[in-house]
Amino acid sequence: MGSSAKKKSDKKKDFKKPKLKVGKARPKPTNFTDTSFKSKSIVLAHQSLTTTAPTRSSQFSHHLSLLSSKSPSQRRDSLAYLTTAIASRPVNGPLPQPISVLLPKLNPLILDGSNGVRSQLLLLLRVLPSKDIEPHIGQLLLYIRAGLTHLAADIRSSATEILLWALETCPDELVSCAGGWVKTLKCLLTVLHWHEPTPKPAASGGGPSSNWTSTQAANLGNAGAKGRLPIKTLNALAAFLRAGLVPAPDEHENIPFQSKWPFPLRHVECHMLPKRSNAFTHLNLFGPPRDEEGEMYIEPEERQRIFHKRFQRAVNLGVEAGKREGGEVGRATAGVGKAVEEGMEGVEPDI
Amino acid sequence: MPKRKVGALDKVDADLSNLQYKIRRDPISYKDDFEGQYSQYEHRREIFLQAPSSATEDGIVSFQDLIYFVAHVADCYPQHTKQFPQDLMKILSTHHEELELDLREKIVGSLVLLRRKGVIDSSTLLHTLFPILISTPSKSLRALLFQKILSDLRTSNANATNHRLNRTFQTVLYNLLSADRASPKGIWAVKLTRELWKRQIWTESKAVEIMKEAALADNEKVIVGGVRFFLGGDKEREELEDESSDDEAVDMGRIKHQMAINKKNKKKARMMDQAVATVKKKERKKKQPHPLNFSAFHLLHDPQGFAEALFSKHLQNTRSKLNLEQKLLVLQLVSRLVGLHKLTIMSLYSYFIKYLTPRQPSVTSFLASLAQATHNLVPPDVLEPLIQKIANEFVSEAAAAEVASAGLNTIREICVRQPLAMNDTLLQDLVMYRKSKDKGVVMAAKGLLSLYREVGADMLKKRDRGKEAAMGLRSGQRKEQRFGEEALGEIEGLELLEKWKEEERQRQRIEKGLPAERESDEEKEDEEGDPGDWEVDEADDTDGSGGWINVESDKEIDISDSEDDKPRVKKVKLDSTTAKADEDKENEDEKAETTAQKPSTLATTRILTPADLAKLQELRLSASINFALPASQRKRAAQAAAALQARHADDPLTAAEIEGLASLSKKSTKADKIALSRAGKGDESVHQSTQAKRKEKKEALGKSTTNREKARKKNFLMTLGKGKAKGKRSLVQQGRVLKAHVERGKRGGKRGNQGK
Repeated sequence: MGSSAKKKSDKKKDFKKPKLKVGKARPKPTNFTDTSFKSKSIVLAHQSLTTTAPTRSSQFSHHLSLLSSKSPSQRRDSLAYLTTAIASRPVNGPLPQPISVLLPKLNPLILDGSNGVRSQLLLLLRVLPSKDIEPHIGQLLLYIRAGLTHLAADIRSSATEILLWALETCPDELVSCAGGWVKTLKCLLTVLHWHEPTPKPAASGGGPSSNWTSTQAANLGNAGAKGRLPIKTLNALAAFLRAGLVPAPDEHENIPFQSKWPFPLRHVECHMLPKRSNAFTHLNLFGPPRDEEGEMYIEPEERQRIFHKRFQRAVNLGVEAGKREGGEVGRATAGVGKAVEEGMEGVEPDI
Repeated sequence: MPKRKVGALDKVDADLSNLQYKIRRDPISYKDDFEGQYSQYEHRREIFLQAPSSATEDGIVSFQDLIYFVAHVADCYPQHTKQFPQDLMKILSTHHEELELDLREKIVGSLVLLRRKGVIDSSTLLHTLFPILISTPSKSLRALLFQKILSDLRTSNANATNHRLNRTFQTVLYNLLSADRASPKGIWAVKLTRELWKRQIWTESKAVEIMKEAALADNEKVIVGGVRFFLGGDKEREELEDESSDDEAVDMGRIKHQMAINKKNKKKARMMDQAVATVKKKERKKKQPHPLNFSAFHLLHDPQGFAEALFSKHLQNTRSKLNLEQKLLVLQLVSRLVGLHKLTIMSLYSYFIKYLTPRQPSVTSFLASLAQATHNLVPPDVLEPLIQKIANEFVSEAAAAEVASAGLNTIREICVRQPLAMNDTLLQDLVMYRKSKDKGVVMAAKGLLSLYREVGADMLKKRDRGKEAAMGLRSGQRKEQRFGEEALGEIEGLELLEKWKEEERQRQRIEKGLPAERESDEEKEDEEGDPGDWEVDEADDTDGSGGWINVESDKEIDISDSEDDKPRVKKVKLDSTTAKADEDKENEDEKAETTAQKPSTLATTRILTPADLAKLQELRLSASINFALPASQRKRAAQAAAALQARHADDPLTAAEIEGLASLSKKSTKADKIALSRAGKGDESVHQSTQAKRKEKKEALGKSTTNREKARKKNFLMTLGKGKAKGKRSLVQQGRVLKAHVERGKRGGKRGNQGK
């Protein structure tokens, strides 16, 4: 019987609760068994070095799927893997996956939040063969434009770099694809804050809003970009204008017509199969109707006309203001001005 | 010139909400930033339109954030965002099936936001949302859209009725129903209309037309929705109104009392202000003219055509797919229409015959519908076989008591409406059931007996007729009513009112010391100088709203009752809010002119004031009671009469009324009895002493506590110091304390209560 004090306390002990304390390790339960052990070395019984290791192509597609991973470092590493895989393929060999599979995965990364991913993406894009890119430039350009006006300055900057790369790779397709000319130009001018002055006479009479538009063009650079952005953008604009306005030198142009084609043949090139891919896209037979902005402007003359109609005034104004600023910005702006001059050389204002 | 804000997004890199806040404060300065973001939105939209279905995992700023941002600041830059609402509408209407859930909700929300900001108008919004509501397969989207559409209609009708919007939307709903009668999409028209009817936003006949169209649809759900609206929509509306009016009953007296006693702080003061505001609002509401809401039945165009179409389409048609319950609903509607508007559908009555057996499921509903469909213009020979069948099938010694009482009740309800449908042998037979052992049957039989004592005593056996009816028959006062005969229209009890007025006038004159008869020139001043006659004495002035009569000119109307005045045709323009009694009176005016009889001229010579009408009601009641009854039974009779009056002519006859007292004839179990006795006693689960309950109630009412209670509740630590010191007092100190105690007792408490 529980008469003595000891027995009573023993009995109570059974029902005592262990006290838990914040920051202390949890007390072990009474029936806890320690299963840890120590050993000097670990011996692996089997090591798999078999032929069933994943093939290159499967690894490639695995990393391709990892591009939409949540962690930025994972995305960056996968991009790096893809870059090396593409770069190290045999010369003139085909890509491990067709470009139409690659690009939809790569495009959204232009807007990626992490700096490393974007710089790695640029590296990857550089190793892609330019011939393959050409038909898909329209898709890519959508994302580039979105990047150019992005809220984050870093993304804007890297999108500009990608635009520069695209201008180097396939300038003709870039300016002549659907929406490639007007929309991109508009986007670039928005980034630079080069506007057509508002036609309202009341507002332009020394009001604060009209004064600022011109001054604002200079201080676009955010703290993060340290003023490099407008220069980069200006360079991109200059390259873009040059690509769009200056007609490409045609190697056949100066060959006399008769020597090219013997007598009975005339205008043969008009009746031959087109050399461009997707030759009839500009007819837009199946897509939704396009407006002026989304239209394709294939010939440089068309581009010149639309440029003259819509943008030349704003660009000229911007160039003047930029030149006045001097320094690095002024030099870059002068480059733009020069590109405009070259491109619009033979065009007389018909309006 | 204000200080220039340089570098809008200097600190935060990608913070749309920050930019939004800044733009809202100073749209001009941040125009460039907005343009950048707007073009960003446009590019993202293009990307999105390439593959609308794919869930775009897009970095730090998502497309939906951009949409929300632009929607929030759209009113600051109207010319930039001209295209924005159209874009959203296009995305929503073309891709609503494949959009991501969040994005879809955001787009709908943005459109509503744009509507609130006045960027787009209501009809554009509704024309966008409604087609999606009826076509989308997603339940959550439907719920969202329904709620948004409803709230938009409510807000557009909040201040004043937006007739144009209502009309266009009603047309849309009507077209939806009438275009494809078999489609289940019509249910949305029904739901919307019912909801708006309930909230009294749509109260006109167009809404009723929509429901009429729904009731005649081909889809069962739509039919039932339409029919239920007619059967219960008005009740729902009344209930909602009652709810909203009595949800916040504020007892001003109590609040004032509490304010005087309790500690005063800002919160209490605010509560007081709120209470005052609600009371004032309520009072204002009370004084407002009562909105004249006609029930859906009365707003119906061509009820005969509607009832016929319903009957032939859903009930007579053998290919109709409705089940019994749905058919019963339609039958109820048809019979109510027939009863209320006194329509003639002959085939309706023969339709009932096959359902009149006790074994028919929910037969009481059929019986109720039959009784409801009867009115005094139904030929008796159509009803006679029905009554015969009910009597044969239901009312017999072999039948169960409930069955018999239900049958008797039905027969009584039919005969109330058409007394000629009964023949004397059957009646005498049925009346015999008042000797039955079952209480329900007895009551039903007695009801039938008392009915025929009034409407056709000669059909009863002599000993059943009762004193009053027998005397009436003998003296020839009671005439047999004939089919199609309409009683002479008059205001019931008007002669009583006239008599009372005369008496009253004489009494007053005698009090003043004048002769009981008077000269004619006196009376005009006398009458006109008595404005107190106009108002009702009691507080119930439901129909006596201010300015309820516009009299065209003073000389044409004559508020007097001089006997020598000839009844003239009056030109009285009645306000729309005048009560029904006034219409009766007008009818009365016309009839009085045409008939050769000379009824009381009171109504034709003067306008009956609300006070007069109230008195008339009172006199009528007392006259009917006082007529024959001994004083001991008067009170009960008065109650019964009041209950009868409370039942409006528009109220439906329900199955429960047909079942009547059948519940009495069932033997109730012990559990039932206990439950019955328990009912209304409150929550018995809490076992508390009466004292504790009282205390709780007192506390809940916010009353003060006694000193004793305060002492008991005092914090223990507060008493501790005093307790310790008490033991250590010196003798002198102790003496002082005792003296002070005595002194305090004399003064009457610590503060003393003498000077107050």
